[in-house]
Amino acid sequence: MGLVMKVRDVQHAVLPQATAEERSRQEAVVMLRKLLNAKVRSKNVERYGEEARPAFVAAHGRLPQSPAEVQEAFLMSPSYRRWSAANRAAQEMIWVSVGEPIYRDLDRMTRATANLIDSPDKLGSLALDPSYDPSPEVADVDIHLQPGGYAMDKGAYDVVAGALYECGGNVFSFGQGIGRGDSKAGVILKLLEEHFGGFVPRKMLDIGCSAGAASAAYAAHWPQSEVHALDLGAGMLRYAHARAESLGVAVHFHQMDASELKFEKDSFDLVVSHNLMHEIGEEKRRKMIAESFRVVRPGGIVIHQDVAIRNQPTIVHQVERDWDTHFNGEVHWNTYATADLRADMIAAGFPADTVIEHDLAALQGFANNRWYAISGRKPA
Amino acid sequence: MTSKTEALSALIASARGPRPISLQSREAEEVLNIALALTVELAVSNDRIDRLERLVAELRGEPVEDLRDIRYDGDIAQERYDATEALLTRALRVILDPRGHEGAADTDT
Repeated sequence: MGLVMKVRDVQHAVLPQATAEERSRQEAVVMLRKLLNAKVRSKNVERYGEEARPAFVAAHGRLPQSPAEVQEAFLMSPSYRRWSAANRAAQEMIWVSVGEPIYRDLDRMTRATANLIDSPDKLGSLALDPSYDPSPEVADVDIHLQPGGYAMDKGAYDVVAGALYECGGNVFSFGQGIGRGDSKAGVILKLLEEHFGGFVPRKMLDIGCSAGAASAAYAAHWPQSEVHALDLGAGMLRYAHARAESLGVAVHFHQMDASELKFEKDSFDLVVSHNLMHEIGEEKRRKMIAESFRVVRPGGIVIHQDVAIRNQPTIVHQVERDWDTHFNGEVHWNTYATADLRADMIAAGFPADTVIEHDLAALQGFANNRWYAISGRKPA
Repeated sequence: MTSKTEALSALIASARGPRPISLQSREAEEVLNIALALTVELAVSNDRIDRLERLVAELRGEPVEDLRDIRYDGDIAQERYDATEALLTRALRVILDPRGHEGAADTDT
């Protein structure tokens, strides 16, 4: 495999220029999250047996019987409550620690964005659709508590949503133990190398590209390929576009809904999505997967990658993972975790024998991080 | 030029959605939030002190460990002792305040 663009901690013109003090604050929040994850959250299931279940039995005279009752029991455990309160506080502090430098440095970032977007020498493009009203099921929620949400748009050269997404993602991922060099695009490139004979697309699409980190990594890896990417928010897309231009890679960004693509059928050799499925509800997810089948060409490959929270060993583990639904603005976390994605892929048109679920190792980092992906191939 | 406070206010004003609590009291959870935020600020200050120590050690041409190992006695030690005592008195004010004991006495009856 060739060199994969380092996705996290990439320096470019649209990033806020954080002061030493601001970096100290971000690093302290990273450390706090790391400690909470490694030393406290890791004991939650154990504490369920010691504190939560006995408390539920004492209150109800029987064992918890449904996910809702397991959740009720968890909240009866003082240890779980302390972790949950501290984790929510840490999540909010991520946004304070990255949001302060963004808003402080916003004038410079806005000028840099304008220069990049209006440059006559652009490599890629940006197609915003003023008639598109971002889907409320995503736009109306502060997903993982990102202030203003993914679709926040203050017009002109506003890039706040994208800057928050990239900077918050960097802080969040280090706290989770995902390595600085880990790249979701890199994981998919490795999968293509190992399972699809080093498949190289002439034209590819990244659905739900957010700040465009993966899209730019594909464009850097395959300079001869035409890389398209879409998302729903104008602020996110302006940032992604300016970021890609600043890094000197060609990506064509489009504002559109993941469940209603404006591309012709059979347009792409490869269609991917990264961490999109857990942000959308069941109906939109099925439409998105059906659209990915429609726009990929016969013989082309579709890979939808997401977080490895599926297939938990017990209902207690499943409910423990479901904290994000209740406390972290991840409305569809559990919908995704328990979905029959294989059935969705087959219903979209992928032949059953081409649909494969992958348990993928992160490229770097500790804590044994994994990613989930499901792939399918359109019949030639 | 946006000030730090203006930047923070803009960020805080843009956040939406409920803030569900985990502890049994919202007040306790808010205090926990403040305590964790202060802990982060302490880490920020420690980084700043560390930078200064290293710069001073470099200027003095000695290892930073030597600079950190300087201990004082006599008047300077007493000055530090008094300062720490005052700091702790400020921090523990709420439980040092005799009114707290009056409340506690009520529960015994």
